[in-house]
Amino acid sequence: MHIPDGFLNSSLSGGLLAGALGMLGFCLNRVLQTATTFANVPAVNNSNISTVLCANELSNNAGKYFQKLTIAALWVFAFQMFNISIQPVTSAHPIGGVFAAVLAGPSAGFLIISSVLTVQSLFFADGGIFSLGANIFNMAFVGSFLSYYIYKALSGKNHHLAIAAACFFSVLAAAISCLIELSISKTVSFTAAFKDMLSLHLIVVLLETVITLALLKAFKNLAKSKNE
Amino acid sequence: MNKKTGAVIFPIFVVLSASLFASKHPDTLETLAINYGFDKQAKEMASIFAGYSFPFINNQFLSTLCAGATGLILIYVLYKGINSAVKHFTK
Repeated sequence: MHIPDGFLNSSLSGGLLAGALGMLGFCLNRVLQTATTFANVPAVNNSNISTVLCANELSNNAGKYFQKLTIAALWVFAFQMFNISIQPVTSAHPIGGVFAAVLAGPSAGFLIISSVLTVQSLFFADGGIFSLGANIFNMAFVGSFLSYYIYKALSGKNHHLAIAAACFFSVLAAAISCLIELSISKTVSFTAAFKDMLSLHLIVVLLETVITLALLKAFKNLAKSKNE
Repeated sequence: MNKKTGAVIFPIFVVLSASLFASKHPDTLETLAINYGFDKQAKEMASIFAGYSFPFINNQFLSTLCAGATGLILIYVLYKGINSAVKHFTK
């Protein structure tokens, strides 16, 4: 689903890139706040704690939190490389947006998917540099940040069902968002390509759900540790 | 080896499997582009590991594996960098 350069018009690419940068700033701020908030709790409760202890605790907590983000980013990158044939002439790979957001929180999920997309675009020519904003919007914002709230709304009832619903929304909404961008740029007609776009991505939904459920089961303890 | 170290190292085995079993077919968006005739609009980008291949290695499996491993190292370094910056500025 990585849009290369040339598919979108320059004004849409520029607008989405600006929006992605703004969102990246917001999410980075929230992630940094989370990393520092853990350490501030004992400092507020007990004014006798020395600043040295606070600084060490801050380092430890921030370190643990960033270790979690690193693990999530490495797994997302690795699984996005896993391109498997889904039809005689098509291949697909999981996005990992729901996995990242459920494991580390929606802002961290956005940050993780964005960082992976940026590395893929800059070093592997997977997705265009000018289209990076659009790819971040589709996969990091819609596919991870927004999908987290689908999971959140349903997780009280059934954890597995919530993940499946979030994966369903994540892949299909990202695909539709991608198609809307292509149709705004007059690259392809929305109504003509809608059915094909959805049918191509329905199998990706299945792949995404199975991998997300397996990974979140494997990282059950890590997912339980504090998020934003 | 503790669990977290394992979680950091294990993705290399996913990349290894991805290098072995990677499909050569175009992905979903490329398929749509071919079916609707706008695939030629895509601009080829020059990049050091374009197409997940490592320069100077002719063997496709090794080339993909090295490119994937490099990607994992880049991600790791990026997050280590952010962590170090946070530690530095919050002291």
